[in-house]
Amino acid sequence: MNKNDLKIIFFIIITAIMSIVLINLNDETGQIAHIYYMNKEVKTIDLSINNTYTVLGYNGEVKIEVKDRKIRVIEENSPLHLCSKQGYIFKSTETIICLPNKIVIKITDGNELDGVVG
Amino acid sequence: MDIKKIVRLAMFLSLAIVLSILESFIPIFNGMIPGLKLGLANIVILVILYLYGFKDAIYISILRVIMVGMLRTGLFSITFFFSFSGAILSIIMMTIFKKISLFSVVGVSIIGSIFHSIGQVIIAIFLLNTPNMIYYLPYLLLFAIPSGIITGLISKELINRMKDS
Amino acid sequence: MKDKIGYIIGTLLLVAFFVWMALDYNQRINSIQEFSKNMFYMDTYISVKIYTKDKVKAKEALDSIDKIYETYNNLTDRYNSYDGTNNIYKINNNTLTDEKLTIDEKLYDLIFYGIDMYEETNGLININLGHVIDVWKSYRESESGVPTYEELKNSGSIDINDIQLLDNNQILNNHPCIDLGSIAKGYTNQIVADYLKSIGLNSFLINAGGSVVVGEHYANDTYKIGIETPTSEGGVYDVVSFNNKSLTTSGNYQRYYIYDKVLYHHIIDPNTLFPPNYFRSVSVITNNAALGDMLSTTLFLMTIEDGKTYLKENYPDVEAVWYTNDDEIERTEGFSNYE
Repeated sequence: MNKNDLKIIFFIIITAIMSIVLINLNDETGQIAHIYYMNKEVKTIDLSINNTYTVLGYNGEVKIEVKDRKIRVIEENSPLHLCSKQGYIFKSTETIICLPNKIVIKITDGNELDGVVG
Repeated sequence: MDIKKIVRLAMFLSLAIVLSILESFIPIFNGMIPGLKLGLANIVILVILYLYGFKDAIYISILRVIMVGMLRTGLFSITFFFSFSGAILSIIMMTIFKKISLFSVVGVSIIGSIFHSIGQVIIAIFLLNTPNMIYYLPYLLLFAIPSGIITGLISKELINRMKDS
Repeated sequence: MKDKIGYIIGTLLLVAFFVWMALDYNQRINSIQEFSKNMFYMDTYISVKIYTKDKVKAKEALDSIDKIYETYNNLTDRYNSYDGTNNIYKINNNTLTDEKLTIDEKLYDLIFYGIDMYEETNGLININLGHVIDVWKSYRESESGVPTYEELKNSGSIDINDIQLLDNNQILNNHPCIDLGSIAKGYTNQIVADYLKSIGLNSFLINAGGSVVVGEHYANDTYKIGIETPTSEGGVYDVVSFNNKSLTTSGNYQRYYIYDKVLYHHIIDPNTLFPPNYFRSVSVITNNAALGDMLSTTLFLMTIEDGKTYLKENYPDVEAVWYTNDDEIERTEGFSNYE
């Protein structure tokens, strides 16, 4: 390692930490989870209601759990089970991606609702 | 092309494939952050880059992605495009930084590691339509440093030894 | 050194390429703009949003829509008369001795539709309920008690046959007491939706109090509509997504008063003349906004079980969700397709 290596390491660490701080300043606890299958939204879930949901993924059923305003994948059929290992997410900057099942879970703060009826 | 080089490249290719498959079984932080990998295959690519240059490195890199794709996730699956874009971007950036010759092998390795992450995130944003993936990039970048240093140090050692032989 | 500059430029170009790709992606999403207008007609706030690249067309359409709502607002107004038109007020309070009254064709069609809905719902939608509604309204405003059945019964005739439509946009001067509150909003929303589609503005969202009507989505997605929790907590208890459909809610939590611990709201059952309290709210998803308005009122006058059977037998493609008095959520079988 030479001096320039250290410079670039320093530069990257500073950039990354600053970004992380900025992201954590701006993110909010999400209200609504959106489930996508092959880039098409298949389910919209209100995170304030504890419940389990099942959506159809590429390798079969994907079980999703909502608990205490957090969401996670509990069961899915894939070689490494990466997305069920990822655990709960609850911030609007977090995403769960189940590549083998082509399922993506995004969280938003609910302001993007197009309308409210009542 | 001499036989020795062909044999070496073939061995490098199989080594890269084995390493890619091997590392997909190593969970890092228990899978908390999507896309986090050690990037062991990068050792092989770095060595080729230093011993034989850009052309051979990119051939082996593309072949590796295709072979791993065929063996594990299926050719032209989303995962395949992830690896492909990450691998290509990383190799291009490593070549550029190697030519600038301001950095040692470790520095170039870190660059490769970083741009591997950047390439994957960019392709994820487009293919999965998830701009949110960008929020994981800082974490991936932070992790790219230790993994880049480790692969860089191993590569450096290998390059020195193979140059002698 | 020359070499190095070349490579640095190469790096910058590559970075620029990715930035450009990201910006282009952003651009593609943002090239369609939203044009909106808020109005207040028919006792409710109405917001119309149009998504298009055509600014001029959108502005013109919004002005025309304002006119449509204003026209129907004036035609269906029970309490005011307007120059130049014979509206509901004029029909109900006709002091002329003429046998017939000529009315606007639009109002004629709307009353015709209302009478049709009476048949369709076995009398649950009754547009001649004005007298009863007025009694309830005065009690609601004073919060002074509860009317008796006799008082409601003797307030005036609720016979739908009081309303006699004649040929040539004429109506018999028979002193009915028409109240179009249960159908006029949805009917007008559908006319606005049809108008927007007819001029090629297919991406729109109309939010008019108790109902939302949407067209195509502007970005190859679906519209996400929240259904308000019908309790004091507020918030949204469910989110549905669809295109080219409407969602209409009827609930007991908007216009109501509480007397002696009983809640009295504004949706009156023509059979009992009292507001029912089978559940807190019902929401229906329909292709047609007029149908949605009429069905949400009809379902509100039935128990959940009866409502499910009614939909199954008469409107199998309509889905509904109920919020019960015990904070439970009941759905028709196909409702989850929209969740």
